[in-house]
Amino acid sequence: MAEIIRYGAYLPRYRAPLGEIQSFYGRPGRPRAKALATPALDEDPLTMAYEAGSAALAGAEAPGTVIAVSQSPPFGLRKLSATLARALGLPDALPLDVGGHPGAALDAVELAGALTAAGGPPALVVVADHLVSHDERVVDTLSAGGAAAFLIGGSGGFARLGPSARARREVYDVWRLGTEPEPRYRLEVLFDAYATTTGAALAALEAASERPTSAYSAVCASQPHPQTLRALERAGVSAEQLQGTSFVGEIGNLGAASVGLALALGLDRASAGDHLLALGYGAGEAIAQDVEVTAAPPAIDAAAQLAGEAIDLSTYYRWTRGRQAEPH
Amino acid sequence: MRVGVLGIGKTPHKIQHGKSLRDLVVEAGRGAMADAGVAPADIQALYVGNVGSVGFNYENSTGLMSAHHLGVVPSAAVRVEAACGTGAWALHLGCVAILSGLYDTVMVLGCEKMNDLATVEGTSIIAQAADSKEEYFSGLTFPSGVALTARKYMQTYGLSEEDLAHTSVKNHHYGARNPYAHLRFECTVEEVMRSAKVADPLKLYEVCPMTDASSALVLCREEILRAQPDRPQVYVTATQMATGTWYAASDTLADAHELLAAPAQRAYEMAGISSADIDVAEIYNSFAIQEPLGIEALGFAPQGEGWKGAADGSTWIDGAVAVNLSGGLLCKGHPLGATGSTQAVDIVEQLRGTAPPDMQRPDAEIGISACRGGPGAVGAIHLYQRLEGES
Amino acid sequence: MTVSAIEFSRLGPPKLRLYAMRCGSCGVLQPWWEHHHCYACGGSDLTEQELAGGGELSNYTVVYYPPRDFLGQEPYVVGHITMDEGVLMPAPVVGVAPDDVRVGTRVKATLRRMKLGHEGDIYYSQKFVVDDEDPAAAQAQPV
Repeated sequence: MAEIIRYGAYLPRYRAPLGEIQSFYGRPGRPRAKALATPALDEDPLTMAYEAGSAALAGAEAPGTVIAVSQSPPFGLRKLSATLARALGLPDALPLDVGGHPGAALDAVELAGALTAAGGPPALVVVADHLVSHDERVVDTLSAGGAAAFLIGGSGGFARLGPSARARREVYDVWRLGTEPEPRYRLEVLFDAYATTTGAALAALEAASERPTSAYSAVCASQPHPQTLRALERAGVSAEQLQGTSFVGEIGNLGAASVGLALALGLDRASAGDHLLALGYGAGEAIAQDVEVTAAPPAIDAAAQLAGEAIDLSTYYRWTRGRQAEPH
Repeated sequence: MRVGVLGIGKTPHKIQHGKSLRDLVVEAGRGAMADAGVAPADIQALYVGNVGSVGFNYENSTGLMSAHHLGVVPSAAVRVEAACGTGAWALHLGCVAILSGLYDTVMVLGCEKMNDLATVEGTSIIAQAADSKEEYFSGLTFPSGVALTARKYMQTYGLSEEDLAHTSVKNHHYGARNPYAHLRFECTVEEVMRSAKVADPLKLYEVCPMTDASSALVLCREEILRAQPDRPQVYVTATQMATGTWYAASDTLADAHELLAAPAQRAYEMAGISSADIDVAEIYNSFAIQEPLGIEALGFAPQGEGWKGAADGSTWIDGAVAVNLSGGLLCKGHPLGATGSTQAVDIVEQLRGTAPPDMQRPDAEIGISACRGGPGAVGAIHLYQRLEGES
Repeated sequence: MTVSAIEFSRLGPPKLRLYAMRCGSCGVLQPWWEHHHCYACGGSDLTEQELAGGGELSNYTVVYYPPRDFLGQEPYVVGHITMDEGVLMPAPVVGVAPDDVRVGTRVKATLRRMKLGHEGDIYYSQKFVVDDEDPAAAQAQPV
């Protein structure tokens, strides 16, 4: 049975003023997050993956596989996992990229579990994202950056990966057409699809695990928007279950890393005997994963990284637009 | 050794968008030939110092280009490059050419046109004169690399930024009086301290401007100049070159000192003089801290005290040795390939007595130019003497 | 102005990890660019040695006028770091206000983007962050 041996998380230290960003683009309404966690000009999903991965690997057995998940790799047509493995000093690890949608971190965790169930060295799953949009119509998708990492193995862990369940439907809520630079969003479709598919996945997990949703000590969910967390409440998840793992209202949406940070926050607060529910959502697919904590987790205090250093609008603009400059 | 300085020429040092690199070369070269009373056909070899024409001006082969436009074809011509020490290297090769006996009359010319590109582009091209691929890849630039040396110097000798600011005050005093200088304003210690930070602790008035300029000398065998007693009898009497580390990370204060102290000592021995005999000095100071370091290396002050002369007057026009009466690179700017040759031209003017009155050291007989380059990679020392009536 | 992709392959991959060059003749550890020649003894037998990543800021400056590749990051701290293994490394120190570093600050290496190359290749390298942990308690880098 697959276990979580170690974990790590990394949030960039800078916080951009979402209210001012919206105002600059002439968008009405209250900002849905206090600030956006913004990587500095010299950071990107690879460097954030390195930070989270290094933290998860500190003092641990070297993994034989590195699985990278990102919707925004710094380069296309290349394997993020291969470069990440080299940067982590694991040139001989098997590099695998799993990706494509915001819930893919849980796909990667399931894959890592399958690869290591029979024994052998553990597998490192790292998820890192920073979706940047230059078109003002998507400024309300709360684009922020961050990373999380999980070392998964057949034994030696503090938590077991229990049953999982999925529910999916064909829907266009967040997508990118071919090689277009800009993601496309339909927020109302997102809210509806999130609510219905997560509800269905939760119900399916209840059936598979014979454990009611209310019995989980925490729900660690993908959170593209605060409204999606409220949809979970209507699906039977209590506010207490979301309390310690909700961050989108503080620092924005971390894309595929969202569920990773939520799970790290949940593990930090868990004790032996707790069950956590990791809930990933993306592209019309909801994945519900039971995580049984069997020993006190090696906590990393991910919550301490939520607070950051304020940057002004011009710095945010320079750091997000600047990295898109043409090679000179 | 004695190499005769037959003629000198230079252009103003300033932004000159209306002139091309070759325009500046021709202006300085013709000026030197006219001053020497020679025709292009008399120049048997041409040494052209230029560092960055490929980057700044999108052209290469500066030596060959200059040979054509100066009219010295079919004589020998070549481009010389050794980072910021380039002009001094051109001078060294010109001296070696004369001393070898292979040539009677040669021209040494330095040129650089740095303002054809925006400052940030120019800075990146200048960085290529250091290890831009590896060390400067780390975010260092020339100003920040030298800033590290300034901080080390201040810490080692317990100095303040005000102590170092006097150097800029002195250089600007004379730069304001030099019609060929890029910057021509005086400043106080307070104004130096208030000037914009460039790379902590270096401030704007402690770094040189990027400028466009050319300067040239016509050199000849001793006998040729002796045979023209009506000409000023100024000779190059020593030329000594050295290298140091290519990496700022390896450059200690001891290395910075040795880079100039070793060739200076050899030069003094070569000319049979000591540092006490020097009347005027041109000391490379693209960044202000390099002047105190050079003063110490040339033997004008103990280590850690080279900064004092600017504060107490001993390196001003009437002091024990007058340093950078031209305004130094701080005011002239640092046209990479021309700096070394302009230093030579400025010392020759001092020894001839033809500098503007308020920057002319009275009775200057012996001068020295100290040029350096790269993070700490090249050092060059030349001695010059006015030798009237000797055989 | 484009540069051949060969330059990237010569310089790019080694920078993903922090290393220095150990001289086989005199044992002195040289910075990572000394592939050919030991500056201490003149020997030519130099091998790569990975560094643990910890060191002390032995000198620094604050750059206000950056080169092209660092535009947008100014003012930034760039310094000389004396690594625990004894070799001096030049590198930026990030994630800290310039007023908050001083000579003697302990730092540790991490991966950062250095620049977008001339042909769109991304150069990664090592920058340093302030190390708040007690050195004795700091955990080793993954092997």
